[in-house]
Amino acid sequence: MAGGSGRLGKGVEPAVRHEPDLAVHVEDLTVSYHSAPVLWDIDLDVPPGVLAAIVGPNGAGKSTLIKAILGLIRPAAGHVYVLGRRIGSVRNRVGYVPQRSTVDWDFPTTVIDVVMMGLYGQLGWIRRPGREHRRRSLAALAQVGMEDFATRQISQLSGGQQQRVFLARALVQDADLYMLDEPMAGVDATTERIIIDLLRQLVARGKTVLVVHHDLQTVTDYFDWMLILNVRVIAQGPVGEVYTGENLKAAYGGRVALLRDAGTKPAGK
Amino acid sequence: MLLSDFTVQNVAAGAALLGVTSGVLGAFAVLRGQSLLGDTLSHAALPGICLGFIIAGSRHLPSLLLGALAAGLAATLLMFLLDHYSRLKTDAILGSVLSVFFAVGVVLLTWIQGQAGTAHGGLESFLFGQAAAILRGDLLLIGSITVAALALVSLFLKELKVTVFDPVFAATLGYPVALIQAVMTMLVAVAVVVGLQLVGVVLMAAMIIAPAVGARQWVNRLEHMLLLAAVLGAVAGVSGALVSSAQRGLSTGPVVVLVACGIAFFSILFAPGRGVVWERQNRWRSSRRLRTRQLLTTMLRLSQEHSDSDYATEEGMLNAYMGLGTRRALRRLESDGLIKHVVHMPEEGSHWMLTGAGREAAERVLRELGRQ
Repeated sequence: MAGGSGRLGKGVEPAVRHEPDLAVHVEDLTVSYHSAPVLWDIDLDVPPGVLAAIVGPNGAGKSTLIKAILGLIRPAAGHVYVLGRRIGSVRNRVGYVPQRSTVDWDFPTTVIDVVMMGLYGQLGWIRRPGREHRRRSLAALAQVGMEDFATRQISQLSGGQQQRVFLARALVQDADLYMLDEPMAGVDATTERIIIDLLRQLVARGKTVLVVHHDLQTVTDYFDWMLILNVRVIAQGPVGEVYTGENLKAAYGGRVALLRDAGTKPAGK
Repeated sequence: MLLSDFTVQNVAAGAALLGVTSGVLGAFAVLRGQSLLGDTLSHAALPGICLGFIIAGSRHLPSLLLGALAAGLAATLLMFLLDHYSRLKTDAILGSVLSVFFAVGVVLLTWIQGQAGTAHGGLESFLFGQAAAILRGDLLLIGSITVAALALVSLFLKELKVTVFDPVFAATLGYPVALIQAVMTMLVAVAVVVGLQLVGVVLMAAMIIAPAVGARQWVNRLEHMLLLAAVLGAVAGVSGALVSSAQRGLSTGPVVVLVACGIAFFSILFAPGRGVVWERQNRWRSSRRLRTRQLLTTMLRLSQEHSDSDYATEEGMLNAYMGLGTRRALRRLESDGLIKHVVHMPEEGSHWMLTGAGREAAERVLRELGRQ
């Protein structure tokens, strides 16, 4: 919907939609930091309604890719279309769950307060959240099993509980595309189960979910689509086709050439 | 009565305004992990004050404060550029901007003082603050700045909150995060401007940090922290200003800062829930509780192993098992009626036996442990 009064972000919808059938469409994306490319020539087409994993070794650019898709980083080259549009006009339809470590958990605030922050985008400037927003935030907390923690100080939460609060903050936005950065890293088994169940529910309701996943072992159990990334795209597509020894070796087996040798082609692309 | 004096009233009012602004606006700098921003901006204000004096030709407060604010703006811009276009880390940026601006300020100040024949304007009073310099007209200016800044904070509280807590998430919501952060920095510059006359350039940093840090120890919500920081700041300001008015030869700035820091240190030590002393007491209390529980269960298990409900445990055995002296803990259990002292082979040392209540308590503990 075009920005109504009080909404943040661009108010005018562009007349042309680009690749509207894809949840995420990335073309020639290149991001460099100081002198070296962190992402190179990324072409990515994520179909709607998938539970997708992004995997790759450390330094592969996975978090950078998420941030570039969200428009938080200016790329050196290439462009991104989310839900058929530029990110600026669909911000209210995209939910982001960052890594826990990005935040100071000693900040003076409560669990419900953090969840309500997810609704700030809909409130726009100055307007404070009201009873209805509080009710929706409590409902989101209930979805992650944290409704009893609503008035708890966030410094008193365990790692898994912190992750679930971040998840609730994204859920309350009722977005169409969710992007999560290593949500299951360092959490207990219960939390991991809660998270993956929730993500499956979202996909069942027609949402698209993109997850930077830390654990190669569980990719085939949890996800139906994947991207293997190491600065450039190694392979993308349904997990059954892409999760092969050859592709994983190409990604994890040492230096990755930016321009592949003539005659070789990574499988699955 | 000290407060019936006109000058002192001015001072107290000015000090209250100072305390409120530096408490509230400083809180954001502290929460952002940029506590020394106040130091940088207050030292940067010196060349601005001097330039304002030079341009206005006299000690015209609005000009001086405008100069201070402009210098703060320039320093903010320089810090932003250094942050985005150089590899310097935040502490190096704050430190270098502070030093350069302050050096320029001292050069200008000594040059002004060296001008024979012109009125100095007593600008050096801006180094450590001077209570008596505040006029009633100044209060109007400072007061309106305070009201405007507080209104801004109150209106945009949620924007400030989300930008400080999670700036990346705020950006995904569509907020112009860099702009909001720049505004927060400028608010600290405003707090500095309000406090300069009373506290001075050198010590202003403490007023930005101390009330906010003190307030944080007592409350757990941002709204409460801002309110309490305002109160603590005002208290520090007024008491410091009154003390320095009552006593000849005391510079206002240092006294105010001493009070503010005293409040902060007291809070850090004694606040319930976060205070150092409280935490130590709590840890001591819970380890004491752990010892008595362990004694009860040990005695119960011993009596079970010996199949003797009236089993008398020798204290020496308990000492050996616990690895430390148990007399104090045993006496506590005795006064709680959970064990009793019995005479049994007195030549071997004290013996203790569980009472009925003690037995129940021990069984309860074992059940709890089994459930974990």
